[in-house]
Amino acid sequence: MTSPLRALADWFSPPLAPEVTAALREVAQTNSAGFDPWGLHPETAERALRSARWLYERYFRVRTHGIERVPPAGRVMLVPNHSGQLPFDGLLVALAMVLEAKPPRFVRGMVERWFPSLPFISTLFTRCGQVVGDPENCRDLLLRDQTILVFPEGVRGTGKTYFHRYELQSFGTGFIRLALETRTPVVPIAVVGCEETYPSLYNIDWLARLLGVPYVPVTPFFPLLGPLGAVPLPVQVELCFGPARRWDLDPDAPDAEVQVLVDEVKAEITRMTREVIARRPDLQLPGLLPGVPA
Amino acid sequence: MKVLVTGAAGQLAVLLARRLAARGDQLTGIDARPLPRGQTFPGDFLQARYTQRRVDEAFRRVRPDVLVHLGRVRTAEVSSFSQRYTQNVLGTRRLLDLARRYEVRRVVVLSTFHVYGAHQHNHLHLTEDDPLRASQLFPELADAVELDHAATNFLWRYRRVETVVLRPVNIVGPTLNNFITRLLRARRCPYFVGYDPMLQFVHEDDVARALELAADAGKFGVFNVAGEGVVSWSHAIRLAGGDPLPVPHVLAYPLVGALARLRLGVPKHLMDYFRYPVIVTDARFREEFGYAPARTTVETLAAVGRSAPPPGQT
Repeated sequence: MTSPLRALADWFSPPLAPEVTAALREVAQTNSAGFDPWGLHPETAERALRSARWLYERYFRVRTHGIERVPPAGRVMLVPNHSGQLPFDGLLVALAMVLEAKPPRFVRGMVERWFPSLPFISTLFTRCGQVVGDPENCRDLLLRDQTILVFPEGVRGTGKTYFHRYELQSFGTGFIRLALETRTPVVPIAVVGCEETYPSLYNIDWLARLLGVPYVPVTPFFPLLGPLGAVPLPVQVELCFGPARRWDLDPDAPDAEVQVLVDEVKAEITRMTREVIARRPDLQLPGLLPGVPA
Repeated sequence: MKVLVTGAAGQLAVLLARRLAARGDQLTGIDARPLPRGQTFPGDFLQARYTQRRVDEAFRRVRPDVLVHLGRVRTAEVSSFSQRYTQNVLGTRRLLDLARRYEVRRVVVLSTFHVYGAHQHNHLHLTEDDPLRASQLFPELADAVELDHAATNFLWRYRRVETVVLRPVNIVGPTLNNFITRLLRARRCPYFVGYDPMLQFVHEDDVARALELAADAGKFGVFNVAGEGVVSWSHAIRLAGGDPLPVPHVLAYPLVGALARLRLGVPKHLMDYFRYPVIVTDARFREEFGYAPARTTVETLAAVGRSAPPPGQT
């Protein structure tokens, strides 16, 4: 690579600060071959995070609020709302935890079960520390003090149409039970903006069934513009971190009691989302032009 | 202590036997295969199938204290499924039956992590309690799964015999000549484009040590045995000194299937183990037996590399 290109790349996606890299390496439980027990390869993960940095800083222009509320050490469970067809929200939360959290740390996203069947992506995701969202994996990660990222809405959240934006879908109770069992603090996160990256108007259910994918959205640009229509709109994204919650409840309490805690997390996410929406213009489609600050 | 070792013509049995002989144990080895030229077994050696009567006689004559069953035959050695089934399943049942009849005190059976099956829904760090999916996914592995079942059934049924079933991850080492070691010794080693799953490797000496611990223990149970950590297949190839050769799996599967039909000893059912991770945890074995691998993953793989001396096999 020629040096002007390298300079441009560095300007566009500056490398991670040495102290960030050092802090990440320090907590990574890597073996002699450089992998951690779940397949995270810090060198690969850092390269991937670095190249995604322009998405965070320049494309989605992410602003975070209250990231200092994430407990600085020990196991943590991050619980955001899920939106926007493709899981950019997960990527942005993971980047925030590397670029802005003190100390920085790798986030272990809990990915869909069909992910390991995808070539390339499954390999890259594993190297970057993502793990299949199985309760056994979750428990295992928490017991070894990892920071995990859970989207209790799953595809119900990402697959919803624009007309249901910022409506939280149903949360399961499994994540709270795991948090109770492993005594893990839960940090609710409101992600505002990702909802508007792909304003889906309709889901083609029959095609999704045919392709064996969770949903196939129709947006004003997709599938009309083909692959170009799959580019997310450059919406400014805000991430609000709520206060960490710790409860003293028997993990085997009946569903009704656990549901109270689930609702507490949902209420906090809704409250933070409303707060952000109230102070930023309602992002309607025509107003979304690249580079225009929201 | 009198120890009867099956699979005695194999390198792992020799490694274990040398350890036991060095501390004064009396060894008897049995294998259906003859001893490879130039190889000696440190003790009496009997060439016989485990279902043959001569094996009964060996039990009566020797009256072993311990039976270490390493004699599972692999696809690469016996490609006919029915023959493999007879040797592995019926042979194992026969040996266990003899162990009970002739009051063997301890039985150690070497199974394999393959019994868990390579499935995309596997969680990581499989424990001994996880389901053995291999027979559902790969009928060719049914004999290995049934061998494991026979051993665990025996373990719970005849509690007077202290039985330990070990399920090691990929065993590699400079003297071994198994499928994975042969792959790693190749100059250019294939991997499936787009798939680069985590694998676990354990050094032959660490497995020999694990077997020795199990033979001495006076405990019972089923235990995974692993090495230091996980490593991706492409990294493993490089650590062993080879070059990863990208192969599209859509081409490789039919090709290997065809080779397998020609009975060239290619285990086509193992291909999924190079697409999906099958990661086990050996926490239980480490805790109960005080086991810890002496070699790191890097050392283990470097030891099999091309630079290593060729195996003393025929």
